[in-house]
Order: sequence, then structure tokens, then C-alpha cells
Amino acid sequence: MRHPSRREFLWSATSALVAAKAARPSAQPRGVAAAEIIARIRDKAGVAWRTPSNDGIKTGDAETLVTGVATTVVATADVLRRAAAAGRNLIVTQEPTFYTAAEDGGAAAADPVFAAKKALVDERRLVIWRFSDHWNARKPSEPVSALANALGWSAYRQADVEGLYKVPEMRLDVLVDRVRTRLHLRGGLRWLGQPDMRVSRVLLSPGTTDLASTVARMPRADAVIAGEPREWEAVPYVLDMRPRKGLVALGRIASLEPSASACATWVRSFTPEVPVEALGVGDPYWSPAS
Amino acid sequence: MTAQEVVARIQQKLADGGIAWRTQTVDTFKAGRPDVAVRGIATTGMATLDVLRRASAAGRNFVVTHEPTFYNHLDQTSTLERDTTYQAKLQFIQDQGLAVWRFHDHSHMLRPDPLVAGSARVLGLTPYASQTERGVYVVPETTLRALAADAARRTGGRAIRVCGDPEMKLTRIALGPGYGVPPLTQKVDVVIGGEASESGGQTAYALDAMALGHARAVILLGHMMSEDFGMREVADWLRTFLADLPVDWIPAGEPFGAPRA
Repeated sequence: MRHPSRREFLWSATSALVAAKAARPSAQPRGVAAAEIIARIRDKAGVAWRTPSNDGIKTGDAETLVTGVATTVVATADVLRRAAAAGRNLIVTQEPTFYTAAEDGGAAAADPVFAAKKALVDERRLVIWRFSDHWNARKPSEPVSALANALGWSAYRQADVEGLYKVPEMRLDVLVDRVRTRLHLRGGLRWLGQPDMRVSRVLLSPGTTDLASTVARMPRADAVIAGEPREWEAVPYVLDMRPRKGLVALGRIASLEPSASACATWVRSFTPEVPVEALGVGDPYWSPAS
Repeated sequence: MTAQEVVARIQQKLADGGIAWRTQTVDTFKAGRPDVAVRGIATTGMATLDVLRRASAAGRNFVVTHEPTFYNHLDQTSTLERDTTYQAKLQFIQDQGLAVWRFHDHSHMLRPDPLVAGSARVLGLTPYASQTERGVYVVPETTLRALAADAARRTGGRAIRVCGDPEMKLTRIALGPGYGVPPLTQKVDVVIGGEASESGGQTAYALDAMALGHARAVILLGHMMSEDFGMREVADWLRTFLADLPVDWIPAGEPFGAPRA
């Protein structure tokens, strides 16, 4: 049973006489508040809600009636404009919007870029809800499954090692080209290893590619497709491995874009009232070499 | 002279310059024997296995590294003890009679910070250092595309990442070392550093600035393309008071982009 928000209830009460004859009782809900969609997502997520966490409304009024939902890795100004233009006024984001986990703008708090972004959010009456810790806590890992799907590898999942896929054997440089093409990457794609090295067991490690999980799993893999590996952690670890292995770093944002798309598909499955779509950030980088 | 005695000389040199040795520091021996007789010193951005092999072959058995040896900031090894990559590296250090010591926290306390100075020198920015703002360089007007191409050519970096409008005009650059990429604000046109998380921070800001009509950019050189060169400055500094020992800079080099021999 759906619980109407206060605003929705008031609207419903005042227009009940009109609405009662115009529509069948169970169809055409007259609006759904951001708080209700958020509560529904929390309910469906299937993971215990943690306090404190990074997840929560970062800006906007929870009682705003939602006309559409946009999921994204980062609610950049460009994403927010596209969302507003399409009427997607509830933004579900993986990463912070105002440059720090505290959403306070950090070093940029006093400058016009921060102010202009705040104004954009306020003028378009957008609600930004961060959904990161809990989405990423779902098992099996949503970012890993989504990245595998984007690469066409869902069928190759290995049950014994989380994130390990046994794909048809190919050269490392062929794998790099496939990743670049499939994920529409530009200068954000970096890789190390010998181009002609044969790879079949590929570890997918989107988002934060931490040392502990890399050390635990890389001995079983030929190469890792990483999100954001620290260059004093997982990068030199893979560099030191013998026999040599491959590492393909996508960037945090690029590695999580398929996950944001998967999140949209999932939210859509239980949010029939409004359109739900993913808005891509795109590879933020270009390379001076190309 | 033993490795421990070399470290004592470094500590004394720092103390003479008013830099007291910290009690909480990552600047400690990471592997090998502190009492090994030093035949030569190698400085490097990071003591990778490849760097250790080159140091050993060159007879530089005391390795001074800026970044960790065992893949985490504190060089904690308890969770690595059964890992064959860790075991092989540790074995190599012991078999070759190397001593590996980290010089990170205290190197950044030197003035100028050799890690920033080395990056500025390789990038050709040294003559443009601001007289009033540390880490800021004011260059004749250029474009982001030209600046990034110049950085790639000068460093040999093969995986430099740039976020910003390639045609944007710039004069004010903030330069930081390694993970210390300066904050991107209205005070500068572009920030240059090694690596930075995309969760918040400079990349998201640069994307927003572009969309909102402000020309701002970030150039991520890669951690070694940012800090390796600073350890050349450290080698030069060590030679000024360790004249009796050979001191070489053995760079870790660009890890990305092309096959390594």
C-alpha cells in the first residue's frame, strides 16, 4: 500500500469530488513526493540502512512532487540541466554534488561556480538524493554486474571469486580496445602490461579499486579492469606481479556509469508513476597524446 | 657508513635547517638491514621491483623511496605475508643486500618542497614561480591544449589526463605533488598534480566550471609523472652532504601506456 505525502493528501482531499468521477479509483495517482520514492528505494534495496552514511537528500525539498527521476554517477551542472529540461526533478546520484562528502563546496565554497550550481538546483527546484553506500552494498555487486553487462561478459561470471570473469582469450591490447569502444572512453582510459599478453581471467573492480581486494583476487586473474586504483596501492602491486599481469584503469566515474544505468532500470521497475532514466556524465578526460 | 648512519646524517641536515624529526612518520626503514654497509644510494619516486633491480645492478644498495614499497601508505605487511608478490619482493631485497628507506613526510617539509620543485623544473615552470603564492606559477598566456602537450613532451608521460576546454586560455597554474593536487577555485585557471579521487574534487569542479561558463581545468600527470622528478632534486640535495657516497636518481617511470621491457 502506497502512503500519500502530506501535500499529495491535501491535493487529493480538495479535489476528491472532481477526481472521483474522472478516474478509476486505483489508476492515475496524482503525484508522488520525492520522500515517497526514496522510501520505496530504501525498502526495495534489501540492505539494512546504516547511520551515519553518505546517503541522503543533499539539497531540495523532500515533499517535492516528482515528475521524473534521473540517476547519475555525478550530478554535474550539465547533468542537472539535462535532467531539468527533461522534467526529471529527483536526481539519484552516486557521488557528491558540491565537491565534498559534506556537500559544502570545500575550497570552492565562496566562488561563483559553487554559487551558480546552487542557483541552478534551487531555481529548477531539483531534489538531489545521494544513493551510494547502500546501492553498492547490494549482493552481488551492482557496479560489477553492470560493468560486465556493458562489456558483454555477463555469461562469463565465475562463482568462486567475486568480480572474476573468464572471457574468451584475447590479447591485452584487444581487450583495451574493446573496453574503450564499449564504454565510449577518451583520455580517461589508462593501462599497463604487455600488449600481446594473453588474457582470459579478467577481474572487474569498478569504483574504488582498493588494495586488499586486489591482493586477494589478482593471483587468480590475468588482468584487472579497475575504476580508481591508487597509484601507490593497486597500481604498483600489479606492476610488481610475476608473471606479469595487465591493469586497465577506467576512472571512477567511467567505471560506474553502467551501474547508474542499472540503477535506473531497477528504480523504474517499481516506480510506474513517473519516467526514470540514467543520465551519463561521459569520460571527463582527454589525452594530450591523442 | 651504514644505512642507519646515512639516515642520521639526513636527520642532522634537516635539524640544521630547522626541521625537527617527527615522532609520527612514515619515514622509516621498510625492508633490509639498517646496518648494511652502503655502497651507493638510489633515490626514486617509488621502489617498484623494477627500480630495485636497477638499483641493485648499479651497486646502489640503499634505496630512498618517496612512496611506499609494499603498496600501502603505512607499508603494513601483516595482510601481505602470504602473498607471493610481496614475498618475492622482500626476498629480492634481502638476497641483494638492499636497504629500503622511505623519505616522504620530511622531504615535503624542505623549502622549497623538492617534490614540487622537481615537477616545476621538468615542466619548465620554474622561471614563472609566483613571488607571493607558494605553488602558483604565472605563465605567458597559452592554451590548455598547448600546456598539456608540453607537459606530455617534457615528462614523457603517456597517460596524462586533462579535464577542461582544450582551447581555454590560461596564465595562472597551481602545482601540487602526487596526491596533493591543489584545490581548483577561481584563484587559478588550472591545477596540475599527480592523481586525485573523482569522488568530489577537482574533476567534478572543472566539469561544472565549463558548463557554467568559467574556464577552469585540471591536469593529472599520474603520480610518478608528478613526484618521480622531485626525487632527482632529493638526490642533488643528498650529494651536498654525502659527498663520499655515489648518489643516483633511479626513476620509477611512467607505469602506463606502453609495454615495459
